[in-house]
Amino acid sequence: MSLKLKALLKSPWVFHLSTGSCNNCDIEILDCLTPRFDIERFGMLLAGSIKHADVLLVTGSCNRMSVERMKELWEQVPKPCLVVAVGTCTASRGIFKDSYNCPVPLDKIIPVDVYIPGCPPKPEAIIAGVVKLIEKVGSGND
Amino acid sequence: MTREEVLLDFTSRFNDDIIDYYDKSGSRLYVTIKPESIVGIGTYLFRNMGARFNIASATDLPPNIEILYHFIVEDVNLIISLRVFLDRENPVVDSLAREIEACNWIEREMSELLGITFTGHPDPRRLLLADNWPECVYPLRQDYEEWDESADRTRGI
Repeated sequence: MSLKLKALLKSPWVFHLSTGSCNNCDIEILDCLTPRFDIERFGMLLAGSIKHADVLLVTGSCNRMSVERMKELWEQVPKPCLVVAVGTCTASRGIFKDSYNCPVPLDKIIPVDVYIPGCPPKPEAIIAGVVKLIEKVGSGND
Repeated sequence: MTREEVLLDFTSRFNDDIIDYYDKSGSRLYVTIKPESIVGIGTYLFRNMGARFNIASATDLPPNIEILYHFIVEDVNLIISLRVFLDRENPVVDSLAREIEACNWIEREMSELLGITFTGHPDPRRLLLADNWPECVYPLRQDYEEWDESADRTRGI
């Protein structure tokens, strides 16, 4: 494991990107930050700018307009960066599989490290997924 | 004004323009009108009758394209939906956006998703679709077919 990745895992700063979701996944992500679930105990913090981020948290079904913006963000994010796909739409496009506006799923565009299924996934599921990601990367099995 | 007075005023004033008239319930009224009279009736409802323009919606119903303009008269709790049937091969209607500013974006959306031409629209650009979307392909038409060769319609993972 590279030194950069090891340092990243101490306190992964998360950038939250919605690529045209219905906002339910985004609400659950915000729930994770509240004192009840308190994702900050794992050192996670929402980053305001993509240039400060270590983890890219993607929700939504990747429509044609937002995919262009997502590619620009992916070019700007400091590498190494871990990508977490939150929700069924991001993992497999859900009911939008045949939509005229959602041609390509997320993992055909950028490499995805963790999929968290659910519509929307519970905050517990999001936390479990992210903790599994940290453990997996931390143990060097990546 | 009561509901009956509003209805009487409306129907007597626009008797020649109204094709069909459906009083669905106490709060809903569907009026099918001639396409060329939409600007006159819509402007009258908005300016003189104190109605609020709520939204417009369009549907592809072969052999027509249907547009519904929903106006709400809040004093009498009445939604008046003006229904316009356009020819599907050549859907052209006058734009309301010069009279009612709120029609601007919804008319742009209807025009790009269903291919309706709004004559006299102040800003007839695209609104929602991607920049590389081809001309004359309308996704909400019944006969829409996939044009994107690179689209992946599998579940992937």
